[in-house]
Amino acid sequence: MLGCSVLNLRRHVGLQKLSALAAITHSSLGPNKKYKFIHDDSSGESALVCSCVRVLENLELTCAVGQLVYETLQAHQTVYNSGSGCLLFLAGAWSRAALECLHGGISVSHIISAMSEGIDVCAGVCRKSSISIEGLGEVQPENSTATVPHAVPQASNPPHGTGRCGDQVLNASGQRKIKLSRHFCESRCKNASAASQGKLINIAHVAEGLRHGCVDAMNLVLEVNQMQSQSNQDMNCDVFDITKVVTCVLPGLPEAHACVLAGCVVLLSAEQLSVVHHLQHQLLKVALIRGDLSHAFRHLGFSRPTGMQRVSDHSALESSGREEEWMAHVLALLLNLEVNLILVSGLASEKVIQRCCAHHILVVEKVKASALSAFAAATRGVPVTYATQLSKHCVGTGAKVAMWRDLSGTGRKSSAAVTISTSGNCSLVTVILTSCVQSKLQVLEDQFWACAYRLHHALKDRVVLPGAGLTEMLCVHRLQKQATRLCTERTADSEKSSSPYRSAVLHLMADGLIDYISTVMVNSGRVSKIRATAVVNQHVQDCNGHSDGAATFSKLFSEGDHEGGSFSDGAPDLNLKIYDNLSVKQEAWRKALDLVSLVLQTDAEIITGVESQENLMLL
Amino acid sequence: MSRLVKKSPSVCTDLPLDNADIYNKLSLLRQLLASCFGPTGRLKQVHNNIGGHVVTTSTSSVLFPAISSSQPLVNLIKTSIHNHVSRFSDCGLFAAGLCLSLIEHAQQSGLAANVSIRINKHLLGLCVSYLQREDCGCKVKLDFCSSQSLITLARSVISSKPACVLTEQEMLHISRLAVQAFLLTLPCNNPGIVMLGKTVSAYVEGHPVLNSAVFPGLLLDVTGDFCLNKEDNLNPSPLSVVVFSTSLAGDLCELGEGLIEVPAGVDSDLQILEQLLELGKQVVTDEVKLFACQKVIHPVLQQYLRSEGVIVIERLGAYLMEPLIQLTGAQPVATLHTSLPAKAYGEVSEISVRQFGSKTLLHLRPSGESAICTMVLCHRNETMLSELKVVCQKTEHVLRLTIRDPAALLGGGCTETHLAAYIRHKSNEVSEPAAVLGCSHSEYHLCMEGFCCSLESVAKALEHSGGNSLIDLTHAHHWTLPADMTKGDIEDSLGFCGCGLVGSSPSRKWTYINTKYTAFSPASLSVDPAVRPRVLDSFTAKLNALQVAVETANLALDVRYIIQDVN
Repeated sequence: MLGCSVLNLRRHVGLQKLSALAAITHSSLGPNKKYKFIHDDSSGESALVCSCVRVLENLELTCAVGQLVYETLQAHQTVYNSGSGCLLFLAGAWSRAALECLHGGISVSHIISAMSEGIDVCAGVCRKSSISIEGLGEVQPENSTATVPHAVPQASNPPHGTGRCGDQVLNASGQRKIKLSRHFCESRCKNASAASQGKLINIAHVAEGLRHGCVDAMNLVLEVNQMQSQSNQDMNCDVFDITKVVTCVLPGLPEAHACVLAGCVVLLSAEQLSVVHHLQHQLLKVALIRGDLSHAFRHLGFSRPTGMQRVSDHSALESSGREEEWMAHVLALLLNLEVNLILVSGLASEKVIQRCCAHHILVVEKVKASALSAFAAATRGVPVTYATQLSKHCVGTGAKVAMWRDLSGTGRKSSAAVTISTSGNCSLVTVILTSCVQSKLQVLEDQFWACAYRLHHALKDRVVLPGAGLTEMLCVHRLQKQATRLCTERTADSEKSSSPYRSAVLHLMADGLIDYISTVMVNSGRVSKIRATAVVNQHVQDCNGHSDGAATFSKLFSEGDHEGGSFSDGAPDLNLKIYDNLSVKQEAWRKALDLVSLVLQTDAEIITGVESQENLMLL
Repeated sequence: MSRLVKKSPSVCTDLPLDNADIYNKLSLLRQLLASCFGPTGRLKQVHNNIGGHVVTTSTSSVLFPAISSSQPLVNLIKTSIHNHVSRFSDCGLFAAGLCLSLIEHAQQSGLAANVSIRINKHLLGLCVSYLQREDCGCKVKLDFCSSQSLITLARSVISSKPACVLTEQEMLHISRLAVQAFLLTLPCNNPGIVMLGKTVSAYVEGHPVLNSAVFPGLLLDVTGDFCLNKEDNLNPSPLSVVVFSTSLAGDLCELGEGLIEVPAGVDSDLQILEQLLELGKQVVTDEVKLFACQKVIHPVLQQYLRSEGVIVIERLGAYLMEPLIQLTGAQPVATLHTSLPAKAYGEVSEISVRQFGSKTLLHLRPSGESAICTMVLCHRNETMLSELKVVCQKTEHVLRLTIRDPAALLGGGCTETHLAAYIRHKSNEVSEPAAVLGCSHSEYHLCMEGFCCSLESVAKALEHSGGNSLIDLTHAHHWTLPADMTKGDIEDSLGFCGCGLVGSSPSRKWTYINTKYTAFSPASLSVDPAVRPRVLDSFTAKLNALQVAVETANLALDVRYIIQDVN
């Protein structure tokens, strides 16, 4: 059976659903996120969530639009790990814009083409206002409040700053360096020595701008970065390798205990701990196993024969006997190869762990694939699927184990946390996240990864965008300007019949962005929605009126700070600048628009396998 | 003891088309499919009732498998059109719209079914013979000397699926790639029987569309723990390749059903592994550089081969086997129990690695001439990429059809309105068909009007924003007038006709579709090489779609009873 529900065009249900879904996550926008409880009445379970993705993960979305939104967010999240809130908010805001267009009788194809024109305008603004991270923030510490606010506004002055903004910032800092060379001769020398590698990047400054309220998380990220660049001398410090970072959460400890450790941290039982004590301060030989370490394990794709029967004269050699035989073989091999440490990506059977313990071989199971690869590279070991495959050249050397913290007495199964690292340059880093409140651990982990990815993408893009709503503001300004231009052009040239529509659509898109900026301001506290919208509108107005946009934006910038526009820290600090990621923002906007245009063009759902339902047309 | 269940009697529906329920379902199906038609068509979200994966599409080849009805008549029509789509890929929605519209018109006319059927058949014959004529006014010859018309044809197919969400520039890029891929699959230097090659597709999600590309040769996805030694791909001489179609996982899956008795103390797994390693040794001594397997390769064998400097690819899948065999000239090995004959080995001239976003692809180039190419398609998200996949396959098929018949029909609804005008004119010209068909003149006229209106309604279905459809009274091409324009300012707002061949001029006259106009012979266009049509439809696919639509409609009209076994 197949049902089909037709969505009314003027009151497009799909767009309404999209905007309603987006509304759920309004409060998780901006640096001051509000926690939400999601409570399941039927099971009595509840979840504490803080980010837009986690909210949607915990909701059971059965409608088609919900599924589409969820798939889009997941796809974005796996690559960028931030910006999902912005994606969903704008999808909601622009779907409201599209709804309003439909009310105004604008055809779907006109809306689509005008909106894609709008997103091109925004992409252009992003490109032009991006700031190179090279040399960014170098003169910051000694700067007076008078000069800093000028740096960005000059660069992003919309009427004049076309295509040269990034350079201007560079030049500006360059000029200043020369002017103030008396104070900065040291840094200049450093620069000169590093000239062959390009300009130095002040990672601390960039990270500070990208932390978006998560101060502790970003500090951990910076520590990770320092540790990576120390362990890898040949690697530039301006690359942040996200694949070599793992997180480990420890409930029960206060949050201040969060820290960064070299190598990989694993939780072990008391029994294995004795092996650790024995192996400490030694360089160990390590075997790397991809898969399970057990007698019965077979590689993926191996199908067990079904009709196999063993014929035997004496029934002594049962399966336990075969296991024993395997065990003895593997143990002999391990002892022969002098392996002290086995890292297993899958599970290891209890028996194997015990037998190995007896021979002072430490077996660590559930090691992440990325960690396994990192160890393989650092110890020159080769990961194998079966323990019986091990040979001399597969075994890595130079691994180290060390006790990190005794966890006995905390009522947990595992009694200690142990670090496994290598003597060579293994850039694998573990971040320990702790909290007394168990349900907060997920939030902390999310925050850490969001910060890590923001820094990663900033270093990959080599540019950042001015944050705190400044980029959005520039986009609003450009969109409105373009809309007005279309209106005036129309009077001169009547052939373009679609320009009034385009102008209306662009205005509504700009309103969506204004809504975004003001919601972030509201979430940051101390401003009402009406006041926030008024402030934003005022600034855009000012920007239109004055030829000198720079002053206006700097004013907005400082006022935004003053009213807590973007900081949770409280004290307004005019020196501090806020940045956003270019690629993340562009991609989030583009995906938001893709969602809107897919939903906007959809006029019916085809549901298969329907029993018999009201308000569905059955075919 | 067996339980006896009383059988319920079969349900018989007399004259199913007179049944309001069935009629309404057909009309719903028509609305559903007509609303998908064309570049501004509306999309449909297909999913199951328990919140499964959502597919957003307007393509008939995706929609038809999802549609199933409790009514056999609906399923009959659906299956018939779907069959056309699986053979020709294109014009599925056209066929469905025309077929359902013909049924509706025939029902409304109140004519006896056999009369409608006879006249429809006659009119179909008229259309087909006109379309096959050299001087047919809505047909253009495809010029293979330039890629322009091929690109136009490809672009028309791609632009008709809005769920791909492509900008103008992206659309053109994909159209060019489709034509490029098509040309690469045509073998150049082979005299005698020519075998077309194959376009293999690889998909990358989350990358801009403009990064899509076509490469000669084969690109295999080797994302994961793949390592290629630098010195390997620098080897310029032909590299030896072996391809296995059997599983090398080391299991006994080939044995099928039945019981195997194994003496205790014999480890069957180990013995097969020894056999596999034996095979590996032979491959290494024969200096094979690339070892590919359709299924799984035992990790121990993989480790051995890699340590000997052989590139190993496993889990190729059945889809890639044929192109790989064509490209390398290797013979697929289906057993591991004999030694490999020398003729089983194939070769490639070069192996290199290409990176597309998160995907690592291994690029194999043929050592001789080969008509295999790979199209790497990128799109921002999964929904749009999956529609783009379907559309590109469709485009490839449409381009291939041009080899059979190097012609195309004018798109944008112009062929339909032109055909309708031609039939009206032809029917006025001669009065004998009525006598030959054994019906009265008024019956003939009524049915012919229904046929023409059905054709025109398909053209009209291209417009979804409430605009009006018009035809001009010289060439009978199709024009659209936006909703908020009146006929008064036609000349300003009508730029070009649907296919882009006719421009508006003050002397031109229009009439709304569905209004009566005096029949005229639609004039062929004077050949002006400077003016090229902007929208073209596949000739072969559309001709077949026309036939399928009329024949299916006739079949549906002919159904007297439906007998359903409800047990």
